[in-house]
Amino acid sequence: MENSSMYIISVYSENQVGLLSSISNIFTRRGINIESLTVFPSEFPGIHHFTFRAITTEHAAQQVVGFIEKKVEVVRAFYFPDNATSAAEHGILEDYLKNRNQ
Amino acid sequence: MARRLTGAEILLESLIAEGVDTVFGYPGGSIITVYDKMYHYGDRLRHVLVRHEQGAIHAAQGYARATGRPGVVIVTSGPGATNVITGVADAMVDSTPVVVITGQVGNAMLGTDAFQETDVVGMTGPIDKWTYQIRRSEDVAQAVAKAFHIAGTGRPGPVVLDFTRDAQVGEADFEYRPCTHIRSYALPAPASETAIDAAARLIDEAERPFVVFGQGVVLSHAEEQLMAFLKKGGIPAASTMLGLSALPSDFPYYVGMAGMHGNIASNMMTQHCDVLIAVGMRFSDRVTGNPSTYAPRAKVIHIDVDRTEIGKIIPVDVGILGDAAEVLERLTDRIRFSFHDEWAALARRYDRVEAEKVSGPETAPAEGPINMGEVVSQVAELSGRRAVIVTDVGQNQLMGARYSRFAQTRSFISSGGLGTMGFGLPAAIGAKIGAPDRQVCVFVGDGGIQMTLQEFGTIMQEGTAVKVVLLNNNWLGNVRQWQELFYERRYSQTRMLNPDYSLIAKAYGIRYRCVEDRAELADAVREMLDAPEAFLLDARVREEGMVYPMVPGGRRMDEILLNKDEWYRDGE
Repeated sequence: MENSSMYIISVYSENQVGLLSSISNIFTRRGINIESLTVFPSEFPGIHHFTFRAITTEHAAQQVVGFIEKKVEVVRAFYFPDNATSAAEHGILEDYLKNRNQ
Repeated sequence: MARRLTGAEILLESLIAEGVDTVFGYPGGSIITVYDKMYHYGDRLRHVLVRHEQGAIHAAQGYARATGRPGVVIVTSGPGATNVITGVADAMVDSTPVVVITGQVGNAMLGTDAFQETDVVGMTGPIDKWTYQIRRSEDVAQAVAKAFHIAGTGRPGPVVLDFTRDAQVGEADFEYRPCTHIRSYALPAPASETAIDAAARLIDEAERPFVVFGQGVVLSHAEEQLMAFLKKGGIPAASTMLGLSALPSDFPYYVGMAGMHGNIASNMMTQHCDVLIAVGMRFSDRVTGNPSTYAPRAKVIHIDVDRTEIGKIIPVDVGILGDAAEVLERLTDRIRFSFHDEWAALARRYDRVEAEKVSGPETAPAEGPINMGEVVSQVAELSGRRAVIVTDVGQNQLMGARYSRFAQTRSFISSGGLGTMGFGLPAAIGAKIGAPDRQVCVFVGDGGIQMTLQEFGTIMQEGTAVKVVLLNNNWLGNVRQWQELFYERRYSQTRMLNPDYSLIAKAYGIRYRCVEDRAELADAVREMLDAPEAFLLDARVREEGMVYPMVPGGRRMDEILLNKDEWYRDGE
């Protein structure tokens, strides 16, 4: 059995009615309890940043991120062990959007 | 030049602009405006009036699976919407493109427990590909365009448009622009060169390569590419249930269906192969058995358009994210010409055992009641393998999958992932409407047919020439089989008293024939196939019929039951 620990799941998404509920359902369906949740407008126009903290396994975190990314409105989702800095994730997103616009 | 139209008209114009010619639906209070406008669209849009909303969505699924175009459903709010939910979940897990329009109460009444108001967005969000509530007539055209784009691209799936009354009755300028881009929704990109190289190397080095393909091959129109790949690599291939008919049944490298009730060759070769190439399939537990013992000797290459499928169940050595047709074409260019004759020939050895122990006795018994497999096999041969085979769920489905034979793609339609009893009859109606020039036969049990029996009314009203083969054994046969094998014959609630189907057929004006005697079977099947109209063939089959071979749930795929008492032993 894989060990559980705290993960941050970071989601950049269009902010549409009902989206938060369908994202949180992805946790619910796998029996993962959300420890905390914050939502802010991100530095990208129209894109909101959802940050979930949850105790789970890396495999489950990876699956959850995959299923979150499948949501049409979601631009990108990442997971980190709770010790990573949010600067790192912003860097990754910026690179991603740059590549995408090329 | 933009025209001023109501939201309801914009919906209908947008559907027509998307190339829709048929919708399946049922009117009601919150969608009445759309139906009112539809009154004037009779020459441009065919509406098929079903008898229950579940019938509408299964018919749309059948239509989509037979044609490759999205099926469209229009229903009302509240119970209309909740009645389509089973079909939405079914279409999601089976990757079927369906666009569902549900009526909704007026904007001011949302959230007030108004009559026939329900939280459609909240309910369908977790089980569909995309849900959107249209609250303004200005948004209708764009929402429909996005819905079709999302339903049909990438890994297809169902989308739900919750269409409020305000959006239906309000006016807006109409000009249709198809959707080709959504910034948060990426279309499949060309597959990674590195991954294709790595896969080609593994395939070239393999001594016992094996392909298991799924419906992804059909969805990406990759049938030709798959055949070219198998021929060049000399690689034997098995199909999942939903992949059936992507390869012709007599294709030389095709070894049969994989999974719980699949062919011995498919499952044994999965366990023996040294490289497993999975194409457009998702390693369902009905295919893998216990996943930790699946394909134990194999390096695994998984080709899929859905990133979350790669590595979800079976760890992969090489994951290739991309469209099956594109990936297979590039992979075929990259691999060497190879022969694995000795390995491929193993399939024939397994087939001989299966023919002797299972298929032979099932399809050509000497005496006793008619077998389910016998009926399926007769339909396959007498229809020249050209029919679209639709199934319900249960033994009829497994027999339909095992003993049908296919000569062309998009010829097998079944509820795979969700296993929805009641799917068969309405799905067959949709398939026949989508492919009117093809023979459409549905295998259904006496349990499943009673779940959506009311759709005989749709057949009657629409004149849909569906051939319904009722495999009637007076049991909920598949559950009974499990009770016999694993629950010490405690037949808890699986015995079913049937109505007189001849009277039901008569009531709906549908031709009917009952067949109990083997000597009459071929003639009865021929009469059914030759009939220009709908036909119900009530085949009274062996009550205690069983589907073998069977890998009991959670076992290794080489632990195969040939009958109640005999396990398959490799090498004999």
